[in-house]
Amino acid sequence: MIELSRRGFLHGALVGGGALTLAVSCGGASGGTRIRHAEATGELVANMYVSVMPDGRISLVVNKAEIGQGVTTGYATLAAEELSVPIDRVDVHYADSHPELRTSFNMQITGGSTSTKEAFGSLRRAAASAREMLVAAAAAGWNVPARECRVEDGHVLHGANKAAYGELTKRAAREPVPARPRLKPAKEFTLIGKTDRRVDARAKVDGTAQFGIDVRVPDMVHAYVIHGPVFGARPDQVTAEAARGRPGVIDVFPFRWGVAVVAEKYWQALAASRDVAVTWGKGDVAGLDTAAMQQAMRAYDGGGTSMVDEGNAGKALSRAQTKVGGVYEAPYVAHATLEPQNCTVRVAGKTAEVWAPTQSPTLVQAVVADAIGIKSDDVLVHTTLSGGGFGRRAVPDVCGQAAVIAKRVKRPVKLVWSRESDMTQGFYRPIYAIQAAGAVDDGRVTGARLHCISQSIALSSPDMLGAALPGIPGGLKSMFVDSLLAMFSTNTMGDLFAAEGLQGTPYRFRNLEVTASPVQTKLPVGTWRSVGNSVTGFAMESFIDELAHAAKRDPLELRRQLLTPDSRQTRVLDALAQLSKWGTPPPQGIGRGLARHFSFETEVGEVAEVEIVGGRIKVRRVYCVVDCGLAVNPDVVRAQMEGGIIFGLSAALDQEITLVDGVVQQRNYDTFPVLRMFEAPEIIVQVLASDRDPTGVGEPGLPPIAAAVANAVFALTGERLRRMPLQRAWNERGAK
Amino acid sequence: MKLVVNGKSFEVAVPTDTPLLWVLREEVGLTGTKFGCGKALCGACTVHVDGQPRRSCVTAVGDVADRPITTIEGLATEAVLHPVQAAWIEENVPQCGYCQAGQIMSAVALLRAKPRPSDAEIDDAMSANLCRCGTYPRIRRAVHRAAALLNGAGPEGATPAAPATPAAPATPVTPVTPATPAMGAKP
Repeated sequence: MIELSRRGFLHGALVGGGALTLAVSCGGASGGTRIRHAEATGELVANMYVSVMPDGRISLVVNKAEIGQGVTTGYATLAAEELSVPIDRVDVHYADSHPELRTSFNMQITGGSTSTKEAFGSLRRAAASAREMLVAAAAAGWNVPARECRVEDGHVLHGANKAAYGELTKRAAREPVPARPRLKPAKEFTLIGKTDRRVDARAKVDGTAQFGIDVRVPDMVHAYVIHGPVFGARPDQVTAEAARGRPGVIDVFPFRWGVAVVAEKYWQALAASRDVAVTWGKGDVAGLDTAAMQQAMRAYDGGGTSMVDEGNAGKALSRAQTKVGGVYEAPYVAHATLEPQNCTVRVAGKTAEVWAPTQSPTLVQAVVADAIGIKSDDVLVHTTLSGGGFGRRAVPDVCGQAAVIAKRVKRPVKLVWSRESDMTQGFYRPIYAIQAAGAVDDGRVTGARLHCISQSIALSSPDMLGAALPGIPGGLKSMFVDSLLAMFSTNTMGDLFAAEGLQGTPYRFRNLEVTASPVQTKLPVGTWRSVGNSVTGFAMESFIDELAHAAKRDPLELRRQLLTPDSRQTRVLDALAQLSKWGTPPPQGIGRGLARHFSFETEVGEVAEVEIVGGRIKVRRVYCVVDCGLAVNPDVVRAQMEGGIIFGLSAALDQEITLVDGVVQQRNYDTFPVLRMFEAPEIIVQVLASDRDPTGVGEPGLPPIAAAVANAVFALTGERLRRMPLQRAWNERGAK
Repeated sequence: MKLVVNGKSFEVAVPTDTPLLWVLREEVGLTGTKFGCGKALCGACTVHVDGQPRRSCVTAVGDVADRPITTIEGLATEAVLHPVQAAWIEENVPQCGYCQAGQIMSAVALLRAKPRPSDAEIDDAMSANLCRCGTYPRIRRAVHRAAALLNGAGPEGATPAAPATPAAPATPVTPVTPATPAMGAKP
């Protein structure tokens, strides 16, 4: 937790309408800069605001996006707790894009499972300060000591005196901001760790929730973009006379990403797009073939960059009685957010206003500015609700396209991609092959070597936006790379993400070597829920299972042997063993598999119960134990574990993006399946009690699930599946 | 042509082959119904026509003129939520929320046909609605809870009927197995 100096931490202000507002500065990668600035100047650069309104409601302005992970509920809980108001009295608003709102990775971004961790201390201190100022104002009015007053349900009370917060805001704003506001100790919590209400549920069940796709701006027109068959292909020849003549059509024109069709209504643009004939150029990834790539990556026998080098893994392996090895593979996968990529842009002279379902207003500013040749600071971004994020909405490629169209037609434009564009336009989870070898002697693991061969997000990131947006300025590229570097606290650019989750593994191998080799293609890759962990978790936890079988040890016992006793890891394992009845024989026809992974500072263990029905891998039940520090909203934590498991299962079992001669073969949900209701397992989640500060929740539920399933398949059938998607590996078993 | 949406009449001037989804969103002005795939693969655009669930993204508006259409905005009466909506809130179903209008419309149609659905019947009726956030376990609980609310019982009355023999689900995917694990099996 990053803390600002007392002097710089907060200041009170009375804003229009008689609200008491406290400006807060939260941490993040730029927290150090903020602290130094505040200490040097006494000036606070705020990035979040807590206001007590004259009607007694609490207004929060936050620099994060709600993508389903529950951040609005979490932040509302923290503020409501310290102010002693019901959670439904808090209104959460998204902040527009402003430089001072940049926190995580020096950007305004929602990612890396960081939001609750960032705000846990500072937001509560702001709310507690507001409470103490309200109490001070009331106490002064009654001429009683503040310490004799108490607060309850949005009121200050003393004996027979009672005043609502809303009556006190004007006087409270004149009180000094407390140097050291009293935070409620855990034993006084009535909401943190207890509330089970989501603040955003009502609007999401009655049709009133406004997502990016629902934005309406006066005089707005609608755009559809026809993308080429190969990523990066530019249109050569466009025949659009018939389309231009259709009712409502405003313009049809080729641009660097394809052909834009603009009409008064979206349905008109959609209909007109069918009358456009295009011949396409070659494209950036012409000839790319994922089957050939996978074969080459599997067989690659060159060296790699050293990521971990402890002891002497080579020696341990050469001396081993038993050697265990295999290649664990993962394909490209798409995010496939249910709300397709979309953006609304209004361009006025050298400024632009943007409405976008985005995880990063900062990157939207940069991309829009670059696309139409204006300054980043002259782009104002309004964040909307997002119909899923999962990392895809950190890449604002669609916003650049919308901006170019808006500038050309001189009217505000809403661009909505087709599902097919959303599926084929890249920024996938990278393709991977992880080669592993382990040494087993006398029932003990004596060494391990892992080589991660993958398309590197960081290495391709300067080109990543460049691929979608040629001509992007170097400054932006370096900003993006710097931010990614900050995200993973390393200075070795080529090494990022590839071995994420293996570096700093809690397993004590004694002799461990981890290397990485980047694979370059022009197909852009990006962050996908839990990023590198989604593959390294699969590889390591399958590998550990193989080592356990080679050592003739129970997989849970072998893990316990390799982990530090009495650690978060073993605590989760113990709880998981009890919850899943590990060690008892499973029901007939069921295999049990176990996996665990530590990511985003959170430990998660999972046991999957699997059967094979008619050739189909069926996951019937998943037990999950999570230690995420203090769970601010336990039911949101449970929901994120359920969601992470099901998101991970879709990829583990079925999903892959394949390219044949540069063409993505999956275009919609028929060929890129998402787990459906009848395949969703029963999921039993246990959230461990903890008094540590909160850690990540949105992503850590995902990494263990694929290995838990693969290990269960092995337990049931003796068949080791080392390649995702597992269903395909199962279907093709023995074929190689 | 005339459209009857949530009990109100609208005159719309669009070609008859225009998808109902976009007519609802752009001409009638009801954006609660969502676009997800355009191919009837995800269910985000589910509305009711004559009380039956329909994928509005592949429904030509000319086919549903003059027939009663209900969207997510038409479920709640005045300030009172439909029991399915209330159950959704009580079970904290939504995460991102984008698919939930379609999920709720499918659930309302299911409960109209089968007031006390088994887990297998829920699988049948709900498996054509995708949720990328993975809210399925909660949707299942919420359907049972809504059934109890609709049948006048409290949540404690939400005990589902014994699972029926599973039928093939309404999806193009893989074979189905009983959704309820064999609880009686020896651990």
